[in-house]
Amino acid sequence: MREVAIIGVGAHPTGRFTDKSLKHLAYPAIWDAMQDAGVEPADINVGYVGNSLGGLLTGQEGIRGQVVLQHSGITGIPVINVENACASAMTALRGAWLEVASGAAEVALAVGVEKMHVGDSARTIGALSAVSELELSEAGMQFTTSYAIHPKMNLKARMQEYGWTVRDLAKPAAKNSCNGSKNPLAQHQRALSIEEVIQSRIIVEPLTLLMCSSISDGAAAAVVCASDIAARFTSKMPIRIAACELRSGVYRLPGDDRPDTATTCAHAAYEKAGIGPEDLDAIELHDAMAPAELMLYERLGLCDPGDGPKLIDDGVTTLDGRVPVNPSGGLCSRGHPVGATGLLQICELVWQMRGQAGPRQIEPWPEVTMAQNQGGLLLGQDSAAYGVTILKS
Amino acid sequence: VQILNPDSLRIPEEPGATPCLLGNRCAKCGTVVFPKMPVCPSCRMTGTMEEIELGRTGKLYSHAIAHVAPKGFAAPFFQAFVDLPEGPRIFSLVGAECPVEQGVLEDGMEMRLVIEPVAESAERSGQLTYKYVPARSTRGART
Repeated sequence: MREVAIIGVGAHPTGRFTDKSLKHLAYPAIWDAMQDAGVEPADINVGYVGNSLGGLLTGQEGIRGQVVLQHSGITGIPVINVENACASAMTALRGAWLEVASGAAEVALAVGVEKMHVGDSARTIGALSAVSELELSEAGMQFTTSYAIHPKMNLKARMQEYGWTVRDLAKPAAKNSCNGSKNPLAQHQRALSIEEVIQSRIIVEPLTLLMCSSISDGAAAAVVCASDIAARFTSKMPIRIAACELRSGVYRLPGDDRPDTATTCAHAAYEKAGIGPEDLDAIELHDAMAPAELMLYERLGLCDPGDGPKLIDDGVTTLDGRVPVNPSGGLCSRGHPVGATGLLQICELVWQMRGQAGPRQIEPWPEVTMAQNQGGLLLGQDSAAYGVTILKS
Repeated sequence: VQILNPDSLRIPEEPGATPCLLGNRCAKCGTVVFPKMPVCPSCRMTGTMEEIELGRTGKLYSHAIAHVAPKGFAAPFFQAFVDLPEGPRIFSLVGAECPVEQGVLEDGMEMRLVIEPVAESAERSGQLTYKYVPARSTRGART
């Protein structure tokens, strides 16, 4: 396998863009990424386009990737449509990485795009339910439940088990909103206090509105190429993809003592990259419901079980801490246009590693970073797709 | 009136007989799954799965009141996971006889299966499914 580098990234702001469809959202992200990389449409050998809800929400059930790329001037190449729920964009990046790593392509484009504001939030929430296996959604499972009481996360039980308080659950949202307040691309740019997070209305107990990511439109893109030809296109620092791992969920029965799939996937990525959690300088992780960050600290190997809130209290994961987590603002502040999120995470890490993150720049610039992305829900008590990418400058 | 997933539910016609879920047990390793699967998720053999009745009772694993609801459902409503004595841990709504109030349900409590419409909305009231309620009648329960 050849070494692969990200040479350009681009993102559309996240939020509500009533007049824009998938292709209109993707266009600026794709062209920002191509211009950042110094490539032309004709340089792109292959395109992977991640999207999750576009079939149900826009009616464009098929060929969304070809529609999006043709609109941006990229035609006559292999185009692969990728659907992997909230991990669609990370999966698209994996496809692009494999194309180049294998030698099949020299330059590949990964895109993630989502259009969620369609004028009827009930329809959007219905589409979100459809990324759970049908027997769960048609039986009335509310998606937030997958974080609140579902066996895979069960934040409510963690409060009893670890002595976590509602205040502890609110800490990631407050921390990340502070980061998001410094991100001009973020959907919610207001720093929240822990009290505000606690006092917002309950969605599914113990989760409040401000602990949950909101409906969002957005897009992100990355251009990757073989590391040894990066200098042909750009003088910017190439960002190496040290690992890009993907795992499907595992059917679990009560008493299953195998590691969580987020852990399995992260460990596979650590092994490929030849590093451990202690080597990471920054992380973007999948906090679709912000308190999940506390569980993911454990699952990525950053702390012992139950010690998540302590990492925030001690300032370890804040922007000026030893390993800042979600410098972009994370899914609740930066935004979670589901099929774009994995690449929005990658964009943030690339900007941080190149020193381009403006007022939220991590100092010194991070050199080894991780993006963790997951999505969907299966019968058998696990998420459907887990992705972990490790980048090195 | 139709049954939501007829392959997963047995509603007996004889009076007095109790309804139950239908799942699979692997004849080789004993793993029990619900709903049915043709391949055992534990030993990954095919051709070993036998139909079994299950879930007449269960134990509440976790629960929460949801204050937002998907289309066709009305909030607030309980979301729950129930451990079946045969092995599986399944998602379930809670039966209408149980008032949606804090303190009514307690994790670990004994539950029993009831058959009810999926929801009371026009689009879901014609579909029957399983739900669980506390085995002993709850405080303030409808009679």
